[in-house]
Amino acid sequence: MGDVVQIYEDYKARADFLTVYVREAHPTDEWQMKSNVKDDVCYAQPKTLEQRVAIANDFTKRFEFPLPFGIDDMSNAANDAYAAWPERIYIVDESGHIAYRGGIGPFNYRPEEAREWLAARYGVVKHESPKSPTAAAPASTTGAAAAARATTSTPAPADAAK
Amino acid sequence: MNRFWKWTAGIFGVLLVAAFAVLSYMAGSPKDAYGMMRYALPHMHRGTLKVGSDAPDARIVALDGTSRFHIRERTGERPLVLVFGSFT
Repeated sequence: MGDVVQIYEDYKARADFLTVYVREAHPTDEWQMKSNVKDDVCYAQPKTLEQRVAIANDFTKRFEFPLPFGIDDMSNAANDAYAAWPERIYIVDESGHIAYRGGIGPFNYRPEEAREWLAARYGVVKHESPKSPTAAAPASTTGAAAAARATTSTPAPADAAK
Repeated sequence: MNRFWKWTAGIFGVLLVAAFAVLSYMAGSPKDAYGMMRYALPHMHRGTLKVGSDAPDARIVALDGTSRFHIRERTGERPLVLVFGSFT
């Protein structure tokens, strides 16, 4: 699993980031996973915007998630426009065109491809120690929580990207 | 003819069971296979966007629950990495 947080830390001086919280993938009233219970990530599918906002805030606080964050409203407009559910990454270039279209998660969710796109443009950011996927945030199955996983302690200077 | 339909129904049934077994294996359990079919597959779409497409706009709610902004407000000066996901 890639590490969106680390990519953000590595390239935030060069690119903008936005996390968009979309409808839950494994809520308690739909397809709940055992790992959600184990990790104490148990939420019903939000029926109101207030519920979505509350879960999104729980997430960002629990993981001290550093990326700029927004919430898809109850019309699911962003989700529909980007075919985003359950998790997906895009890169939009300066001209407003899709420059990278990631696969649909969880099986084809590959943050490392976004990193490669950024590295091709701004240079590779190397880390001395290998990443430890279980080092930081509690594991979750999919979604932004998965993206928050593996927040390494390796600092990446903002000017590391050439 | 009656025999033909019996064989057809039998083969179809065996294929269905085999497909569910494979899905159960992939998903982790029969319960997960059902969950995948019932709740995941209807929502998973490739979409029509391609590299080079205009990035769609959408109104986004800020974490405070009241402020709004648009995705395209965040584009223009630098590349924008859009990460979609949920908590669970």
